[in-house]
Amino acid sequence: MRKILILDSRDNIAVCLVDLEIGDTVEQDDISIKVLNRIPRGHKIATQVISKNDGVIKYGERMGHAVAPIAIGEHVHVHNILGDRLSSAQS
Amino acid sequence: MSEKLFAYLRDDGRWGLRNNVLVLPLHSALASSARTIADTSDGAVAISHDWSGEIDSDLTRILFTLSGYASNPNNYAVVFLIIGSAEEKSIIDGAQALGLKNFTVLSLPEIGSLEKLQSDALVVANKYVVEAKSQKRIEAPWSAIVLGLECGGSDALSGITANPALGVASDRLVELGATSVLGETTEILGAEHLLAARAIDPEVGKRIVAMVSRYEASINYEGIDIRGAQPSRGNIEGGLSTLEEKSLGAAKKAGNAPLTGVLEFGERPLTPGLYFMDTPGHDIEQLAGFGAGHINVVVFTSGRGTPTGSAIMPTIKVSTNTPMYSAIPDLIDLDAGTIADGIETLAQVGDRIFDEIIEVANGKLTKAERGGHHEFALSRMYKTVIGEYQ
Amino acid sequence: MSTVIKGYAHGNRGSGIRNHQLILPSVICSTHVSRRIATEIEAVTFAHQHGCAIIGDDVAGIDNFFIQLADHPNVNSALVIGLGCETIQGQELAAKLLERNESTQYRIIQESGGVEGTVAAGVKAARELNTSFVPVPAEITTLRVGIDNGRDYPGMTNLRGLLEAAGHTVIISDSPFSSAESFSRLAQEKAHIVISFPSETQPPSGFPLFPVINVASSSVLHQAIRADFDIAESQVEADITALIESVANGIHTIAEKNKSGEIRAPRVVRSV
Repeated sequence: MRKILILDSRDNIAVCLVDLEIGDTVEQDDISIKVLNRIPRGHKIATQVISKNDGVIKYGERMGHAVAPIAIGEHVHVHNILGDRLSSAQS
Repeated sequence: MSEKLFAYLRDDGRWGLRNNVLVLPLHSALASSARTIADTSDGAVAISHDWSGEIDSDLTRILFTLSGYASNPNNYAVVFLIIGSAEEKSIIDGAQALGLKNFTVLSLPEIGSLEKLQSDALVVANKYVVEAKSQKRIEAPWSAIVLGLECGGSDALSGITANPALGVASDRLVELGATSVLGETTEILGAEHLLAARAIDPEVGKRIVAMVSRYEASINYEGIDIRGAQPSRGNIEGGLSTLEEKSLGAAKKAGNAPLTGVLEFGERPLTPGLYFMDTPGHDIEQLAGFGAGHINVVVFTSGRGTPTGSAIMPTIKVSTNTPMYSAIPDLIDLDAGTIADGIETLAQVGDRIFDEIIEVANGKLTKAERGGHHEFALSRMYKTVIGEYQ
Repeated sequence: MSTVIKGYAHGNRGSGIRNHQLILPSVICSTHVSRRIATEIEAVTFAHQHGCAIIGDDVAGIDNFFIQLADHPNVNSALVIGLGCETIQGQELAAKLLERNESTQYRIIQESGGVEGTVAAGVKAARELNTSFVPVPAEITTLRVGIDNGRDYPGMTNLRGLLEAAGHTVIISDSPFSSAESFSRLAQEKAHIVISFPSETQPPSGFPLFPVINVASSSVLHQAIRADFDIAESQVEADITALIESVANGIHTIAEKNKSGEIRAPRVVRSV
């Protein structure tokens, strides 16, 4: 069974279909990713390096931007990305 | 399954997929009576609300919502409970103008007491129930279906499983000549350009973009960060990180059909096709807007699970993931989590949702209907308190 | 000269004149389940449309409103029913209530097997609360009497004097339009009992947590439904202290018998 799902070829993240643990390796569709954090099912994993302020792309569309540099294999969520609209940095 | 549709034909040519007798209180002080009447009746339904006739900035919206809700084609008849105000009269007049034909108005001051109001209303409601049961469904065209598309308690699988599968079903229905309505302005923010690109003419595209801008401006005006509410805490636990991400997934409920038109809250679509309605993301305020807009069946996708139902519209719940479906089986009608597990394709689940819509339209009861879930909420745009919190 | 009222000691909530078990839905989505539980065990609950899709000051505002209701002196125990994914999380609300009152429990629909599972679990939890927290009789000499001032009642000063002379604390809430908002405010002020003077064009109504004595004006509406009022305006000064005493000692008001009145929670921001 697939562990992650890349929804669009333009995406820099993938959706995890299973819980991933630190040190797991995802080998699928000609890519190999070493998992850097515990990532729950349904959450996102970086499949490309995302620099601070770069767009986060899902479904081939921009869903927000990175507020910290994100490495391949890192958990991508509210701690390192922010929406572009109606959102402000967390206090 | 039946590929044919059987529904209740109303005098003005509209079609009902249910034959409800609705007890509708037009003042909050009558709401508990309405619930008691429905509970003790032979099958009438009721809603509660907290409007006490306040004349404020939300008045027009509230009158419009209640008129539209009362005149929904799924209602065979309505028993209005009133205290005798001019605003109540305008709601009833509005409902008639929108097609309501069978109704009785019971006025508290004319009857003299709440106790007598309840006993009188029970007699009227039961009489209507007998009439409603004697009516027969007849074969109906596909245009009889006016489908509402809703999601709530979304998770990261919503945009991958249940929402695009619902999109498949919606596209099939629109192709056949039915109407499908997407709601939740909050939840297309960040995806409005995709819907605008599918608009049947540039004017419709401009309107949907303007509608989202108007919403965005109203939130910016409040100077409030909407995270925590959108995406909600449950959404964030489920893996959704930003409002745009939630929206990109939510918009998939509307499939790929061209966007025929844009509706204000509670406005009726007058021709078949795919529409967008300006509603809050609040699930139950949205359902009220759908009811007011004469939608007659709803599909509601959920990642977390919700008991939500409507007093007047059958509401089919679809889970985005199988663990949730298994954990709370009495809330969910269909599971789309099989897509993530590679057991079924999007098209297969889309076809199952389509089949379920037809069966429910033809009379099969949803789990929310069987459980008697009749939530209702009035949508307000302005504050309800004078002054500040204590 | 104050009279002694036979009430119930409700721990940190204070002494109350009703012994309500409250089933508190933290979100609209759990109101139906709450109602089923309440009906099964004869507890009080209420419908509302809040708890989710709220932003800004409304998050803390609605949370605090629910806390104040559960902390009301007429409440013996509170069972919070949450859905699980809402803004006002049932479990967190219950934790805040628990800091104040031991007689608190919660059940969450998404974690209790859905509707039927939660109804069963909720009824069981409510029965446990009922067994564990048996009300202790209390003698109350000072009531907190709320007044819903919905119209211009000429005898207000005299009424206030009468109530204060009887040893009661008086809390007046001016209702700009309907009683529902006043009742919510008076509940937060911990009124044991409320005397309502609804505006001439508004019907009488009640509130789940306290008895409301409705006073009829001479308006057309009020006279047409005189049967739904407890007392006429002309009788207030002569009879109100005795009426308060009997209601405080357990006689039900008409609104209590009719179970009328919906909660209207204060909101300052549109829903999203």
